[in-house]
Amino acid sequence: MAVKFFGQFLVEQGIIPRDVLLQAINLQESANKSVGEIVLDLGFLNAEAVEKVNRAQRTVDMRFGDLAVQMGLLTPDQLQRALARQSETHLYIGEAIVSVGGFTDEDLQRYLAEFKADQAQFATSKVEIPAGVPYADLCEIMADMTYKMFTRVARLNFRPGPCQIVTHLDQVHVMAAMDFTGDLRCRYILTASADVQEEIAKAILNQESVYDEPKEVLDDTVMEFVNVVCGNVVAKSAQQGKSLDIMPPEIIDSTGGIDIPVGYTGLYFPVCLADNGLAAISIIIYP
Amino acid sequence: MKKVLLVDDSISVARQLEKIVTESGEFQVVGHAKNGLESIKMYQSLHPDIICMDMNMPGMDGITALRTLMALDRNIKVVMITSLGGVGDKFNEAIKLGARNVISKPFETDNVLKILREA
Repeated sequence: MAVKFFGQFLVEQGIIPRDVLLQAINLQESANKSVGEIVLDLGFLNAEAVEKVNRAQRTVDMRFGDLAVQMGLLTPDQLQRALARQSETHLYIGEAIVSVGGFTDEDLQRYLAEFKADQAQFATSKVEIPAGVPYADLCEIMADMTYKMFTRVARLNFRPGPCQIVTHLDQVHVMAAMDFTGDLRCRYILTASADVQEEIAKAILNQESVYDEPKEVLDDTVMEFVNVVCGNVVAKSAQQGKSLDIMPPEIIDSTGGIDIPVGYTGLYFPVCLADNGLAAISIIIYP
Repeated sequence: MKKVLLVDDSISVARQLEKIVTESGEFQVVGHAKNGLESIKMYQSLHPDIICMDMNMPGMDGITALRTLMALDRNIKVVMITSLGGVGDKFNEAIKLGARNVISKPFETDNVLKILREA
């Protein structure tokens, strides 16, 4: 029921043992070169320049190639050629498993088809994002993954409302947030009314009733729901070549509502529930 | 019955897992650590057969704790838990450090038990 990595799927299904995967990972790591290694091989940069970019990366959150271009060490054309070389020579985990004798090329095609069928449930459905919003593709994944987990994990009947750009978020019963870093810096917020929180808690704890549960446990279930959504967003984004990382979830105080600071973009995705419960997803994109 | 130590900062995840593990009748939960550091101390006092360790925890995270535990005992059976299962580099890192497998969230009962049996 989760977004998975192909190697993980193969081990989980018992198709290959863990030590074969380990051999394949080692082969993949020795075969796949970083952009820094490729620009060195192509003679675009010398070792000293590569080290200079590596050092700069410790304080600047940018990819090696983009930073090297910004530092004036690499031209945009050279970066494109290096990225093309990286893509052409990339050894995928399935190919690496074939190389170490884990299975045949024919088996690979069959297992890839099975993997795609397993993951088809996580294909991103179209979510309309207002024009001009930055990182619309990643915001779409966040909204879509939340809807999927509302159905599969929380077992809620709902209808997504249209996405709006907002400058203020109203106070609600519970607000759980998770921060993203990497290709997109933003804060994901799930808001829920008391009855929606109760439904999430019942589903997460797999209990008929959560009447006697303390607030700490109920809040923890919402944070865990956010953790599951956002973790799967990171995994889905990685499959599309985007690198995101997440911080642990937290409950935030929404007393008086939250103003979106100037320069930030606030997106609000209302969710209409069948039994009048209220829920929404908000994404605050950092400038 | 195999002894399992759960390591997760989330109360609800620990309760979910405890229910799955206990109801199977094959495993017994002997402790619940809330972070990596606690898991190392509890491993040394409880000697569990399997440790189920969350990757993403405040304080000492699961990967750091896994590295420390493997340095203490190369034969220790650690299964990682993550909602980031699809991210290849995180999965690879856990397997390379010696984790027996990785359980993805949301949990599927049959899958969790299969992974624990095979650990």
